[in-house]
Amino acid sequence: MGTINSALSIMSQALDADQQALNVVANNVANANTPGYTRETPDWQENQPITINGVSYGQGVTETGATSERDRVLESRLDQQQQLAAASGTRLTALDTLQALFTPASGSSSSTAGDIGSDITSFFNSFSSLEANPTDNALRQSVLSTAGTLAGDISNAAASLNSQRSALDQEAAGTTSQVNALTGAIAQLNQQIQTTSPDADAGTLEDQRQEDLSQLSQLIGINQITTKNNGLEITTTSGQLLVSEGTSYQMTTGMVNGVTDFFVNNRDITADLATGGGSLGGYLTARDTDIPGALSSLDQLAYSISTSVNKQNNAGTDYDGVEGNVANPANAALNIFSEPTAVAGSAASMSVVMTDPNQIAAAGAGDGTGDNSNAVAMYKLSSQLIVNGETPINYYSNFVTTLGATVSSVQTENTAQNASVTQLQTQNNALSGVNLNDEASSMTTLERSYQAASQVFTMLNNIMASALNLGDQTTVS
Amino acid sequence: MLETSERGGHPKLKDLVVEASRALSRLDADRLEELALSCQALNRALTDEDAETRAALAFEAKDATGDMAVFARVLEATRANLNVMSRLRELRAGRLEYREGGLGSGLLQTVAWQRTESAHGDN
Repeated sequence: MGTINSALSIMSQALDADQQALNVVANNVANANTPGYTRETPDWQENQPITINGVSYGQGVTETGATSERDRVLESRLDQQQQLAAASGTRLTALDTLQALFTPASGSSSSTAGDIGSDITSFFNSFSSLEANPTDNALRQSVLSTAGTLAGDISNAAASLNSQRSALDQEAAGTTSQVNALTGAIAQLNQQIQTTSPDADAGTLEDQRQEDLSQLSQLIGINQITTKNNGLEITTTSGQLLVSEGTSYQMTTGMVNGVTDFFVNNRDITADLATGGGSLGGYLTARDTDIPGALSSLDQLAYSISTSVNKQNNAGTDYDGVEGNVANPANAALNIFSEPTAVAGSAASMSVVMTDPNQIAAAGAGDGTGDNSNAVAMYKLSSQLIVNGETPINYYSNFVTTLGATVSSVQTENTAQNASVTQLQTQNNALSGVNLNDEASSMTTLERSYQAASQVFTMLNNIMASALNLGDQTTVS
Repeated sequence: MLETSERGGHPKLKDLVVEASRALSRLDADRLEELALSCQALNRALTDEDAETRAALAFEAKDATGDMAVFARVLEATRANLNVMSRLRELRAGRLEYREGGLGSGLLQTVAWQRTESAHGDN
């Protein structure tokens, strides 16, 4: 065995093995820009040595195939972060549109829904002007005019919110077919992987499955569970099965209370999807939480202003000497706004029903038409806690501020989640593309970056804390 | 290159914070270490600043508050990623040690083959 022939045979096999390994490398290069492709490394296996008279003679090495350099834990973490980033990104887009309704865009003087804050002030100030000259028709007309602007802006804002909600509902429903296509494809790939490569990395098939998982993670929040023979189970984050190895469970939709709900096996999973992540999670959070919250605030504002103003006007006497009817607000003679029957829907239906400016009851009950005591009382409503324990302008101001804080918070989350995705992709690329030494180097970079960033954060935090407290020592020890 | 503020040519706090978040997102350790040095220098220089400059700094600090919150969240996410990667490394190191000499994955086969080669010395 230890002859020149055997040596040549070993060398020949080694060359063959090298050639096959080069093919693997060439394949890596050819697929360098293929989305989802994971770099493969050749597998080497020693040929069984032959032992003669107690002496072992080597038989060279054979290239037995290729293994993809993947790590499912890292890929799973990446998918999870993508789900969060997609959810916050989608929600942020919806919130930006929502905020533009109430806050003027940069460089603009008015917001999409007009300026409700100024409308409230103008409306109550019109009563202040009327106090000075309660019989002046132009001033009375001004009250109705400012009331019309306020009611119009509030009802327009409510209509815009409802329209945005419908648009989000359609976007959400539209993702169903994409989710079903992906879960179906993953189930098929599971079958192929389990059949053709049950005990090893399935290379391209696993790349395809990972690519589909990544796309699915952009759409909904999922959990992945590895099963026997390289199979995979996928559930929603709350545990509803979507794919079980070779079987996928299709998601269906149905209208519930005017919006689209999502079902799997007849179980309504809408609430689970809303909290789970992915763009669908973002759509549903905006549709079911953010917009209803804004609508509810507007409804409360519209309800309180309408009922309080109507009640006060009916407590006085109008220019023609007619007294109001406080006891029956729905049919009262001197209502300025349409009288709402419930808080819900008040914003959308807010309107001015009074057409004759003479019906503005500037005078107190039983007083002459030149009296202004009820106009004074009307103006004072602006500083009374008539909207959920707050003045109208403060209530609206707090609503806009809270909305801005929510947008800012989601913006922060989205930026951080996108940064996290970028970091994980960098780590994943390092793992897929290089050897263990380079992987360790990549890990060291991550550690260095974190430590340096921690130092920067600590110093900046202390500098800022000191700067905001003028006179204190600024330097960080 | 960061723009300088009116405080004696130092970079604006807001720009420092934003740049730090960006550098951390792309794991640019060199840039972050530069920024750490920059912050140290800024910190030292502040001891000698007059009241007017410190007032300007206070204004900058308020302006940078939102970006600081973003930086804090990116740092938090990085720590979580670092934890995941550290555990992965331990897991992979443990698997290698446990399976050394066996014929499992490609990587492990390499280890086994290298040991055998060393023993025979004729390949």
